[in-house]
Amino acid sequence: MLTKRQNLMETIKGGNPDRFVNQYEFLEIILEAPLRTRPQRGQTITNEWGITLSWPEEQLGPFPVHDQAHIAIKDITKWREVIQCPTVEFSDERWAPAIDHANSVDREDQFVTVFFASGTFEMIHFLQGMENGLMNLYEEPDYTHELIEFLTDYEIRYAEQIIKRIKPDALFHHDDWGSQIASLMSPQMFEEFFLEPYKKAYGFWKDNGVELIVHHSDSYAANLVPYMIDMGIDIWQGVMTTNNTPELIKQYGGQISFMGELDSGPLDVKDWDVKMIEEHVEKACRTCGKHYFIPCLTQGLNFSSFPGVYEATSEAIERMSKKMF
Amino acid sequence: MSKVEEVKAHVEKGKTKLIPGLVQAALDEGDAAMDILQAMVDAMSVVGEKFSAGEIFVPEMLIAAKAMSNGVDVLKPLLAGGPSKSLGTCVIGTVQGDLHDIGKNLVAMMVESTGFDIVDLGVDVPADKFIDAVKTNENVKLVACSGLLTTTMPAMKDTVAALKSSGLTGFKVIVGGAPVTEAFATEIGADAYAPDAGSAAVKAKELVTAA
Repeated sequence: MLTKRQNLMETIKGGNPDRFVNQYEFLEIILEAPLRTRPQRGQTITNEWGITLSWPEEQLGPFPVHDQAHIAIKDITKWREVIQCPTVEFSDERWAPAIDHANSVDREDQFVTVFFASGTFEMIHFLQGMENGLMNLYEEPDYTHELIEFLTDYEIRYAEQIIKRIKPDALFHHDDWGSQIASLMSPQMFEEFFLEPYKKAYGFWKDNGVELIVHHSDSYAANLVPYMIDMGIDIWQGVMTTNNTPELIKQYGGQISFMGELDSGPLDVKDWDVKMIEEHVEKACRTCGKHYFIPCLTQGLNFSSFPGVYEATSEAIERMSKKMF
Repeated sequence: MSKVEEVKAHVEKGKTKLIPGLVQAALDEGDAAMDILQAMVDAMSVVGEKFSAGEIFVPEMLIAAKAMSNGVDVLKPLLAGGPSKSLGTCVIGTVQGDLHDIGKNLVAMMVESTGFDIVDLGVDVPADKFIDAVKTNENVKLVACSGLLTTTMPAMKDTVAALKSSGLTGFKVIVGGAPVTEAFATEIGADAYAPDAGSAAVKAKELVTAA
Protein backbone atom coordinates (compact mmCIF):
# COMPACT_ATOMS: atom_id res chain seq x y z
CA MET A 1 0.00 0.00 0.00
CA LEU A 2 1.27 3.46 -0.91
CA THR A 3 2.00 5.89 1.89
CA LYS A 4 -0.37 8.84 2.21
CA ARG A 5 2.25 11.08 0.64
CA GLN A 6 2.94 8.70 -2.22
CA ASN A 7 -0.77 8.19 -2.86
CA LEU A 8 -1.30 11.94 -2.99
CA MET A 9 1.48 12.37 -5.51
CA GLU A 10 0.11 9.57 -7.70
CA THR A 11 -3.32 11.23 -7.55
CA ILE A 12 -2.16 14.71 -8.52
CA LYS A 13 0.33 13.52 -11.14
CA GLY A 14 -2.25 11.31 -12.85
CA GLY A 15 -0.33 8.15 -11.96
CA ASN A 16 -1.53 5.06 -10.12
CA PRO A 17 -3.10 5.88 -6.77
CA ASP A 18 -4.29 2.83 -4.87
CA ARG A 19 -7.15 4.59 -3.09
CA PHE A 20 -8.82 7.99 -2.83
CA VAL A 21 -6.77 10.50 -0.90
CA ASN A 22 -8.88 10.84 2.23
CA GLN A 23 -9.47 14.53 2.92
CA TYR A 24 -6.46 16.10 4.68
CA GLU A 25 -4.69 12.82 5.57
CA PHE A 26 -1.59 13.70 3.57
CA LEU A 27 -1.03 16.98 5.42
CA GLU A 28 0.22 17.12 9.01
CA ILE A 29 -0.63 20.74 9.78
CA ILE A 30 1.55 22.35 12.43
CA LEU A 31 -1.03 24.59 14.07
CA GLU A 32 1.24 25.33 17.04
CA ALA A 33 3.28 27.70 14.87
CA PRO A 34 2.91 31.30 16.03
CA LEU A 35 0.84 33.48 13.68
CA ARG A 36 -1.89 35.98 14.42
CA THR A 37 -4.12 36.21 17.47
CA ARG A 38 -7.54 34.72 17.04
CA PRO A 39 -10.55 34.99 19.39
CA GLN A 40 -11.82 31.97 21.25
CA ARG A 41 -15.52 31.14 21.15
CA GLY A 42 -17.47 33.86 22.95
CA GLN A 43 -14.63 36.39 22.69
CA THR A 44 -14.06 39.63 20.84
CA ILE A 45 -10.44 40.71 20.35
CA THR A 46 -8.42 43.22 18.38
CA ASN A 47 -5.44 41.51 16.78
CA GLU A 48 -1.92 42.63 15.90
CA TRP A 49 -3.15 44.27 12.70
CA GLY A 50 -5.81 46.32 14.49
CA ILE A 51 -8.58 44.11 13.13
CA THR A 52 -11.40 43.45 15.60
CA LEU A 53 -12.76 39.91 15.42
CA SER A 54 -15.81 38.57 17.22
CA TRP A 55 -16.78 34.93 17.76
CA PRO A 56 -20.39 34.75 19.02
CA GLU A 57 -21.00 31.85 21.38
CA GLU A 58 -23.36 29.90 19.12
CA GLN A 59 -21.47 30.47 15.91
CA LEU A 60 -19.02 28.43 13.88
CA GLY A 61 -16.13 30.87 13.83
CA PRO A 62 -15.00 34.48 14.25
CA PHE A 63 -15.91 37.38 12.01
CA PRO A 64 -14.43 40.86 11.57
CA VAL A 65 -16.33 43.73 13.16
CA HIS A 66 -16.69 46.60 10.72
CA ASP A 67 -18.73 49.29 12.37
CA GLN A 68 -17.15 52.75 12.04
CA ALA A 69 -15.46 52.49 15.42
CA HIS A 70 -13.66 49.25 14.54
CA ILE A 71 -12.55 49.49 10.91
CA ALA A 72 -8.74 49.43 10.98
CA ILE A 73 -8.16 51.42 7.79
CA LYS A 74 -10.87 54.05 7.32
CA ASP A 75 -8.94 55.98 4.66
CA ILE A 76 -6.63 53.90 2.51
CA THR A 77 -4.64 56.98 1.48
CA LYS A 78 -3.44 57.10 5.09
CA TRP A 79 -2.90 53.37 5.60
CA ARG A 80 0.79 53.77 6.46
CA GLU A 81 -0.14 55.99 9.40
CA VAL A 82 -2.43 53.41 10.99
CA ILE A 83 -1.01 49.97 10.20
CA GLN A 84 1.99 48.56 11.98
CA CYS A 85 3.37 45.35 10.61
CA PRO A 86 3.25 42.63 13.28
CA THR A 87 6.53 41.04 14.21
CA VAL A 88 7.56 37.79 12.56
CA GLU A 89 10.20 37.18 15.22
CA PHE A 90 9.15 34.83 17.98
CA SER A 91 11.18 33.32 20.80
CA ASP A 92 12.61 29.82 20.79
CA GLU A 93 10.15 29.04 23.54
CA ARG A 94 7.24 30.16 21.39
CA TRP A 95 8.43 28.03 18.49
CA ALA A 96 9.20 24.93 20.54
CA PRO A 97 5.79 23.17 20.39
CA ALA A 98 5.64 23.66 16.61
CA ILE A 99 9.18 22.36 16.11
CA ASP A 100 8.50 19.34 18.32
CA HIS A 101 5.34 18.56 16.35
CA ALA A 102 7.12 18.89 13.02
CA ASN A 103 9.97 16.68 14.21
CA SER A 104 7.53 13.95 15.19
CA VAL A 105 6.15 13.62 11.65
CA ASP A 106 7.21 10.81 9.34
CA ARG A 107 7.91 12.83 6.21
CA GLU A 108 7.81 9.67 4.09
CA ASP A 109 4.16 9.36 5.06
CA GLN A 110 2.91 12.94 5.28
CA PHE A 111 3.80 16.48 4.31
CA VAL A 112 4.82 18.67 7.24
CA THR A 113 2.51 21.58 6.57
CA VAL A 114 2.38 25.17 7.71
CA PHE A 115 -0.89 27.06 7.83
CA PHE A 116 -0.99 30.69 6.72
CA ALA A 117 -4.02 32.94 7.15
CA SER A 118 -5.47 35.39 6.44
CA GLY A 119 -4.41 35.68 2.83
CA THR A 120 -3.83 38.94 1.00
CA PHE A 121 -7.31 39.42 -0.43
CA GLU A 122 -8.96 38.69 2.90
CA MET A 123 -6.64 41.12 4.61
CA ILE A 124 -7.64 43.85 2.15
CA HIS A 125 -11.25 43.62 3.27
CA PHE A 126 -10.58 42.62 6.89
CA LEU A 127 -8.62 45.86 7.25
CA GLN A 128 -11.03 48.14 5.37
CA GLY A 129 -14.43 46.51 5.44
CA MET A 130 -15.71 44.64 2.41
CA GLU A 131 -17.34 47.58 0.66
CA ASN A 132 -14.41 49.96 0.97
CA GLY A 133 -11.93 47.22 0.24
CA LEU A 134 -13.63 46.30 -3.00
CA MET A 135 -14.44 49.87 -4.06
CA ASN A 136 -10.86 50.93 -3.51
CA LEU A 137 -9.82 48.50 -6.22
CA TYR A 138 -11.47 51.07 -8.47
CA GLU A 139 -11.16 54.30 -6.52
CA GLU A 140 -7.68 54.02 -5.03
CA PRO A 141 -5.83 51.40 -7.10
CA ASP A 142 -2.35 52.76 -6.38
CA TYR A 143 -2.82 52.68 -2.62
CA THR A 144 -4.42 49.25 -2.90
CA HIS A 145 -1.39 47.99 -4.82
CA GLU A 146 0.85 49.46 -2.11
CA LEU A 147 -1.09 47.76 0.66
CA ILE A 148 -1.05 44.44 -1.20
CA GLU A 149 2.73 44.74 -1.65
CA PHE A 150 3.10 45.42 2.08
CA LEU A 151 1.00 42.37 2.97
CA THR A 152 2.93 40.18 0.51
CA ASP A 153 6.19 41.35 1.99
CA TYR A 154 4.91 40.43 5.46
CA GLU A 155 3.99 36.95 4.28
CA ILE A 156 7.43 36.42 2.77
CA ARG A 157 9.19 37.60 5.94
CA TYR A 158 6.96 35.25 7.96
CA ALA A 159 7.74 32.46 5.51
CA GLU A 160 11.48 33.03 6.03
CA GLN A 161 11.10 32.46 9.76
CA ILE A 162 8.88 29.40 9.63
CA ILE A 163 10.94 27.79 6.89
CA LYS A 164 14.07 28.27 9.01
CA ARG A 165 12.39 26.70 12.05
CA ILE A 166 10.20 23.96 10.63
CA LYS A 167 11.32 23.27 7.05
CA PRO A 168 7.81 22.61 5.80
CA ASP A 169 7.06 20.36 2.86
CA ALA A 170 3.68 21.93 2.18
CA LEU A 171 1.76 25.14 2.70
CA PHE A 172 -1.97 25.35 3.47
CA HIS A 173 -2.90 28.91 2.65
CA HIS A 174 -6.28 30.48 3.44
CA ASP A 175 -7.80 33.16 1.23
CA ASP A 176 -11.47 33.04 0.18
CA TRP A 177 -11.80 34.46 -3.30
CA GLY A 178 -15.51 34.03 -3.83
CA SER A 179 -18.99 33.53 -2.52
CA GLN A 180 -20.71 30.21 -3.11
CA ILE A 181 -21.86 31.24 -6.57
CA ALA A 182 -19.40 33.83 -7.89
CA SER A 183 -15.89 35.15 -7.50
CA LEU A 184 -15.74 38.35 -5.47
CA MET A 185 -14.19 40.26 -8.35
CA SER A 186 -13.79 39.81 -12.07
CA PRO A 187 -10.95 37.63 -13.33
CA GLN A 188 -9.41 40.71 -14.93
CA MET A 189 -9.39 42.59 -11.65
CA PHE A 190 -8.00 39.54 -9.85
CA GLU A 191 -5.19 39.38 -12.41
CA GLU A 192 -4.45 43.08 -12.08
CA PHE A 193 -4.17 43.13 -8.30
CA PHE A 194 -3.47 39.67 -6.95
CA LEU A 195 -1.74 37.48 -9.54
CA GLU A 196 1.77 38.91 -9.37
CA PRO A 197 1.82 39.31 -5.58
CA TYR A 198 0.68 35.71 -5.16
CA LYS A 199 3.22 34.51 -7.70
CA LYS A 200 5.86 36.29 -5.65
CA ALA A 201 4.69 34.83 -2.34
CA TYR A 202 4.07 31.29 -3.57
CA GLY A 203 7.29 31.45 -5.54
CA PHE A 204 9.18 32.26 -2.37
CA TRP A 205 7.66 29.34 -0.47
CA LYS A 206 8.49 26.96 -3.34
CA ASP A 207 12.01 28.31 -3.84
CA ASN A 208 12.65 27.53 -0.18
CA GLY A 209 11.67 23.92 0.13
CA VAL A 210 7.89 23.84 0.00
CA GLU A 211 6.88 21.15 -2.45
CA LEU A 212 3.13 21.54 -2.35
CA ILE A 213 0.93 24.65 -2.25
CA VAL A 214 -2.63 23.90 -1.13
CA HIS A 215 -4.81 26.99 -1.42
CA HIS A 216 -8.08 27.16 0.50
CA SER A 217 -11.06 28.97 -0.93
CA ASP A 218 -14.38 27.36 -0.04
CA SER A 219 -16.26 29.13 -2.76
CA TYR A 220 -16.95 29.40 -6.40
CA ALA A 221 -13.67 30.30 -8.12
CA ALA A 222 -13.74 28.31 -11.36
CA ASN A 223 -13.06 31.49 -13.32
CA LEU A 224 -9.81 31.99 -11.41
CA VAL A 225 -8.32 28.54 -12.01
CA PRO A 226 -5.97 29.69 -14.81
CA TYR A 227 -4.49 32.19 -12.36
CA MET A 228 -4.25 29.58 -9.63
CA ILE A 229 -2.16 27.50 -12.01
CA ASP A 230 -0.05 30.49 -13.01
CA MET A 231 0.75 31.41 -9.40
CA GLY A 232 1.84 27.89 -8.54
CA ILE A 233 -1.09 26.38 -6.64
CA ASP A 234 -0.93 22.59 -6.77
CA ILE A 235 -4.24 21.87 -5.07
CA TRP A 236 -7.31 24.09 -4.69
CA GLN A 237 -8.98 23.00 -1.46
CA GLY A 238 -12.58 24.03 -0.80
CA VAL A 239 -13.84 23.60 -4.35
CA MET A 240 -17.61 23.61 -3.99
CA THR A 241 -20.09 21.77 -6.17
CA THR A 242 -21.09 25.11 -7.70
CA ASN A 243 -17.85 25.02 -9.70
CA ASN A 244 -18.76 21.99 -11.86
CA THR A 245 -15.70 20.20 -10.55
CA PRO A 246 -15.81 17.27 -13.02
CA GLU A 247 -15.53 19.78 -15.85
CA LEU A 248 -12.64 21.56 -14.13
CA ILE A 249 -10.84 18.26 -13.71
CA LYS A 250 -11.33 17.48 -17.37
CA GLN A 251 -10.04 20.89 -18.41
CA TYR A 252 -7.22 21.46 -15.93
CA GLY A 253 -6.32 18.09 -14.44
CA GLY A 254 -2.57 17.64 -14.63
CA GLN A 255 -1.96 21.34 -14.06
CA ILE A 256 -3.83 21.59 -10.76
CA SER A 257 -5.87 19.26 -8.58
CA PHE A 258 -9.17 19.83 -6.82
CA MET A 259 -9.92 19.02 -3.19
CA GLY A 260 -13.51 19.35 -2.05
CA GLU A 261 -16.83 18.63 -3.74
CA LEU A 262 -18.37 17.78 -0.35
CA ASP A 263 -20.06 21.07 0.51
CA SER A 264 -19.84 21.62 4.26
CA GLY A 265 -23.05 23.71 4.28
CA PRO A 266 -25.55 20.86 3.86
CA LEU A 267 -23.40 18.14 5.46
CA ASP A 268 -21.76 19.74 8.49
CA VAL A 269 -24.89 20.52 10.48
CA LYS A 270 -26.15 19.86 14.01
CA ASP A 271 -28.44 16.98 12.97
CA TRP A 272 -26.03 15.53 10.44
CA ASP A 273 -27.03 12.43 8.58
CA VAL A 274 -24.60 9.64 7.76
CA LYS A 275 -26.75 8.52 4.83
CA MET A 276 -26.61 11.97 3.28
CA ILE A 277 -22.84 12.03 3.74
CA GLU A 278 -22.59 8.62 2.02
CA GLU A 279 -24.66 9.84 -0.90
CA HIS A 280 -22.62 13.01 -1.37
CA VAL A 281 -19.34 11.12 -1.10
CA GLU A 282 -20.44 8.50 -3.63
CA LYS A 283 -21.60 11.13 -6.09
CA ALA A 284 -18.39 13.15 -5.69
CA CYS A 285 -16.10 10.16 -6.15
CA ARG A 286 -17.98 8.73 -9.10
CA THR A 287 -18.32 12.03 -10.97
CA CYS A 288 -14.85 13.38 -10.26
CA GLY A 289 -12.85 10.19 -10.59
CA LYS A 290 -9.52 8.95 -9.32
CA HIS A 291 -7.13 11.55 -10.68
CA TYR A 292 -6.60 15.21 -9.84
CA PHE A 293 -9.35 14.95 -7.23
CA ILE A 294 -9.35 14.61 -3.45
CA PRO A 295 -12.77 14.15 -1.85
CA CYS A 296 -12.98 16.48 1.12
CA LEU A 297 -15.38 18.63 3.11
CA THR A 298 -15.02 22.15 1.77
CA GLN A 299 -14.40 23.77 5.16
CA GLY A 300 -10.80 24.72 5.83
CA LEU A 301 -8.69 22.50 8.10
CA ASN A 302 -9.10 18.90 9.10
CA PHE A 303 -12.10 19.03 11.36
CA SER A 304 -15.81 19.74 11.14
CA SER A 305 -17.90 22.32 12.93
CA PHE A 306 -20.18 19.59 14.35
CA PRO A 307 -18.59 16.58 16.05
CA GLY A 308 -18.47 13.40 14.05
CA VAL A 309 -19.05 14.82 10.58
CA TYR A 310 -15.39 14.84 9.52
CA GLU A 311 -14.88 11.27 10.74
CA ALA A 312 -18.09 10.00 9.12
CA THR A 313 -16.98 11.60 5.85
CA SER A 314 -13.58 9.93 6.06
CA GLU A 315 -15.23 6.57 6.68
CA ALA A 316 -17.50 7.05 3.68
CA ILE A 317 -14.49 7.90 1.50
CA GLU A 318 -12.72 4.77 2.69
CA ARG A 319 -15.73 2.70 1.68
CA MET A 320 -15.73 4.35 -1.77
CA SER A 321 -12.05 3.48 -2.16
CA LYS A 322 -12.91 -0.18 -1.55
CA LYS A 323 -15.69 0.04 -4.15
CA MET A 324 -13.77 1.89 -6.85
CA PHE A 325 -10.14 0.73 -6.55
CA MET B 1 -26.53 61.06 -26.47
CA SER B 2 -28.62 63.30 -24.25
CA LYS B 3 -27.35 64.39 -20.87
CA VAL B 4 -29.86 62.09 -19.16
CA GLU B 5 -28.66 59.16 -21.25
CA GLU B 6 -25.09 60.06 -20.34
CA VAL B 7 -26.02 60.02 -16.66
CA LYS B 8 -27.51 56.55 -17.07
CA ALA B 9 -24.46 55.27 -18.95
CA HIS B 10 -22.04 56.66 -16.41
CA VAL B 11 -23.92 55.25 -13.42
CA GLU B 12 -23.75 51.85 -15.11
CA LYS B 13 -20.01 52.27 -15.50
CA GLY B 14 -19.58 53.48 -11.91
CA LYS B 15 -18.11 56.87 -12.77
CA THR B 16 -18.46 58.21 -9.23
CA LYS B 17 -16.45 61.39 -9.77
CA LEU B 18 -18.10 62.36 -13.09
CA ILE B 19 -21.70 61.83 -12.09
CA PRO B 20 -22.27 64.96 -9.97
CA GLY B 21 -21.12 67.17 -12.85
CA LEU B 22 -23.18 65.26 -15.38
CA VAL B 23 -26.29 65.45 -13.22
CA GLN B 24 -25.80 69.19 -12.79
CA ALA B 25 -25.29 69.55 -16.54
CA ALA B 26 -28.53 67.69 -17.16
CA LEU B 27 -30.36 69.97 -14.74
CA ASP B 28 -28.82 73.03 -16.39
CA GLU B 29 -30.11 71.83 -19.73
CA GLY B 30 -33.61 71.71 -18.30
CA ASP B 31 -34.01 68.02 -17.58
CA ALA B 32 -36.37 67.33 -14.71
CA ALA B 33 -34.88 66.03 -11.48
CA MET B 34 -37.31 63.09 -11.45
CA ASP B 35 -36.32 62.11 -15.00
CA ILE B 36 -32.66 62.16 -14.05
CA LEU B 37 -33.42 60.10 -10.95
CA GLN B 38 -35.35 57.59 -13.05
CA ALA B 39 -32.39 57.31 -15.43
CA MET B 40 -30.18 56.37 -12.49
CA VAL B 41 -32.77 53.89 -11.23
CA ASP B 42 -32.86 52.35 -14.71
CA ALA B 43 -29.07 52.19 -14.71
CA MET B 44 -29.06 50.26 -11.46
CA SER B 45 -31.66 47.91 -12.86
CA VAL B 46 -29.23 47.12 -15.69
CA VAL B 47 -26.44 46.70 -13.12
CA GLY B 48 -28.61 44.28 -11.15
CA GLU B 49 -29.37 42.20 -14.25
CA LYS B 50 -25.70 42.05 -15.21
CA PHE B 51 -24.76 41.02 -11.66
CA SER B 52 -27.36 38.26 -11.62
CA ALA B 53 -26.07 37.09 -15.00
CA GLY B 54 -22.49 36.99 -13.76
CA GLU B 55 -21.32 39.65 -16.20
CA ILE B 56 -20.20 42.02 -13.47
CA PHE B 57 -19.12 41.46 -9.90
CA VAL B 58 -19.41 43.01 -6.46
CA PRO B 59 -16.90 45.88 -7.03
CA GLU B 60 -18.76 47.02 -10.15
CA MET B 61 -22.10 46.89 -8.35
CA LEU B 62 -20.73 48.86 -5.41
CA ILE B 63 -19.14 51.52 -7.55
CA ALA B 64 -22.29 51.94 -9.63
CA ALA B 65 -24.35 52.34 -6.47
CA LYS B 66 -21.91 54.93 -5.20
CA ALA B 67 -22.15 56.78 -8.49
CA MET B 68 -25.93 56.85 -8.16
CA SER B 69 -25.64 58.00 -4.56
CA ASN B 70 -23.39 60.87 -5.66
CA GLY B 71 -25.94 61.81 -8.29
CA VAL B 72 -28.84 61.65 -5.84
CA ASP B 73 -26.96 64.03 -3.54
CA VAL B 74 -27.09 66.67 -6.29
CA LEU B 75 -30.81 66.06 -6.84
CA LYS B 76 -31.89 65.92 -3.18
CA PRO B 77 -32.61 69.63 -2.68
CA LEU B 78 -34.78 69.57 -5.81
CA LEU B 79 -36.62 66.41 -4.83
CA ALA B 80 -37.36 67.40 -1.24
CA GLY B 81 -40.94 68.51 -0.79
CA GLY B 82 -41.94 67.22 -4.19
CA PRO B 83 -44.28 64.29 -4.85
CA SER B 84 -42.73 61.16 -3.45
CA LYS B 85 -42.08 58.25 -5.74
CA SER B 86 -41.00 56.10 -2.83
CA LEU B 87 -42.10 52.51 -3.08
CA GLY B 88 -42.24 52.39 0.68
CA THR B 89 -39.87 51.49 3.46
CA CYS B 90 -37.82 48.32 3.47
CA VAL B 91 -36.55 47.12 6.85
CA ILE B 92 -33.49 44.92 6.34
CA GLY B 93 -31.14 43.04 8.62
CA THR B 94 -28.99 39.96 9.04
CA VAL B 95 -30.72 37.60 11.45
CA GLN B 96 -29.67 36.89 15.00
CA GLY B 97 -26.39 35.09 15.48
CA ASP B 98 -25.00 36.02 12.07
CA LEU B 99 -22.47 38.82 11.57
CA HIS B 100 -22.21 38.62 7.79
CA ASP B 101 -23.19 41.89 6.19
CA ILE B 102 -21.96 42.20 2.62
CA GLY B 103 -24.90 40.30 1.13
CA LYS B 104 -27.35 42.31 3.20
CA ASN B 105 -25.60 45.55 2.25
CA LEU B 106 -25.71 44.73 -1.45
CA VAL B 107 -29.42 43.94 -1.24
CA ALA B 108 -30.06 47.16 0.69
CA MET B 109 -28.21 49.12 -1.94
CA MET B 110 -30.03 47.54 -4.86
CA VAL B 111 -33.47 47.73 -3.22
CA GLU B 112 -32.85 51.38 -2.37
CA SER B 113 -31.91 52.07 -5.95
CA THR B 114 -35.34 50.89 -7.12
CA GLY B 115 -37.04 53.50 -4.94
CA PHE B 116 -37.43 52.10 -1.44
CA ASP B 117 -36.41 53.93 1.70
CA ILE B 118 -34.12 51.65 3.65
CA VAL B 119 -34.01 51.08 7.39
CA ASP B 120 -30.92 48.97 7.94
CA LEU B 121 -30.92 47.19 11.30
CA GLY B 122 -27.41 45.85 10.84
CA VAL B 123 -26.31 42.35 11.78
CA ASP B 124 -27.16 39.89 14.55
CA VAL B 125 -30.70 41.25 14.69
CA PRO B 126 -33.17 39.51 17.01
CA ALA B 127 -36.73 38.95 15.84
CA ASP B 128 -38.22 41.53 18.17
CA LYS B 129 -35.97 44.22 16.70
CA PHE B 130 -37.41 43.51 13.24
CA ILE B 131 -40.90 43.79 14.73
CA ASP B 132 -40.08 47.04 16.53
CA ALA B 133 -38.74 48.47 13.28
CA VAL B 134 -41.99 47.66 11.48
CA LYS B 135 -43.95 49.33 14.29
CA THR B 136 -41.86 52.47 14.52
CA ASN B 137 -41.14 53.25 10.89
CA GLU B 138 -43.65 54.68 8.48
CA ASN B 139 -44.98 52.94 5.41
CA VAL B 140 -43.10 49.66 5.87
CA LYS B 141 -43.86 47.56 2.82
CA LEU B 142 -41.06 45.05 2.97
CA VAL B 143 -38.97 43.25 5.55
CA ALA B 144 -35.82 41.61 4.21
CA CYS B 145 -33.98 38.99 6.27
CA SER B 146 -30.49 37.86 5.35
CA GLY B 147 -28.44 34.95 6.65
CA LEU B 148 -25.25 33.32 5.43
CA LEU B 149 -24.83 30.45 7.85
CA THR B 150 -26.77 27.20 8.02
CA THR B 151 -26.65 27.60 11.80
CA THR B 152 -28.68 30.79 11.61
CA MET B 153 -31.46 29.39 9.47
CA PRO B 154 -33.48 28.59 12.61
CA ALA B 155 -33.19 32.25 13.57
CA MET B 156 -34.50 33.20 10.13
CA LYS B 157 -37.42 30.80 10.60
CA ASP B 158 -38.17 32.27 14.02
CA THR B 159 -37.96 35.83 12.69
CA VAL B 160 -40.38 35.17 9.86
CA ALA B 161 -42.76 33.37 12.23
CA ALA B 162 -42.60 36.25 14.70
CA LEU B 163 -43.29 38.81 11.98
CA LYS B 164 -46.22 36.82 10.63
CA SER B 165 -47.77 36.30 14.08
CA SER B 166 -47.13 39.85 15.30
CA GLY B 167 -50.50 41.17 14.18
CA LEU B 168 -48.74 43.79 12.06
CA THR B 169 -49.87 44.04 8.45
CA GLY B 170 -49.16 45.86 5.20
CA PHE B 171 -45.75 44.37 4.45
CA LYS B 172 -44.20 41.36 2.78
CA VAL B 173 -41.22 39.33 3.95
CA ILE B 174 -38.38 38.39 1.63
CA VAL B 175 -35.45 36.17 2.64
CA GLY B 176 -32.10 35.32 1.14
CA GLY B 177 -28.53 34.33 1.76
CA ALA B 178 -26.18 31.52 0.88
CA PRO B 179 -27.91 28.56 2.60
CA VAL B 180 -31.43 29.81 1.82
CA THR B 181 -33.45 28.22 -0.96
CA GLU B 182 -36.84 28.85 -2.48
CA ALA B 183 -38.08 25.71 -0.74
CA PHE B 184 -36.84 26.89 2.64
CA ALA B 185 -38.39 30.30 2.12
CA THR B 186 -41.75 28.68 1.38
CA GLU B 187 -41.40 26.28 4.31
CA ILE B 188 -40.88 29.10 6.81
CA GLY B 189 -43.70 31.21 5.45
CA ALA B 190 -41.74 33.98 3.74
CA ASP B 191 -43.50 35.77 0.89
CA ALA B 192 -40.51 35.66 -1.40
CA TYR B 193 -36.93 34.51 -1.89
CA ALA B 194 -34.10 35.97 -3.94
CA PRO B 195 -30.79 34.30 -4.75
CA ASP B 196 -28.79 37.52 -5.13
CA ALA B 197 -28.95 41.29 -4.76
CA GLY B 198 -29.94 41.98 -8.34
CA SER B 199 -32.94 39.68 -8.28
CA ALA B 200 -33.83 40.85 -4.76
CA ALA B 201 -34.41 44.35 -6.10
CA VAL B 202 -36.60 43.03 -8.92
CA LYS B 203 -38.58 40.84 -6.52
CA ALA B 204 -38.96 43.69 -4.01
CA LYS B 205 -40.56 45.90 -6.60
CA GLU B 206 -42.82 43.06 -7.80
CA LEU B 207 -44.02 42.35 -4.28
CA VAL B 208 -44.95 45.93 -3.59
CA THR B 209 -46.54 46.76 -6.91
CA ALA B 210 -48.56 43.55 -6.89
CA ALA B 211 -49.84 44.17 -3.37
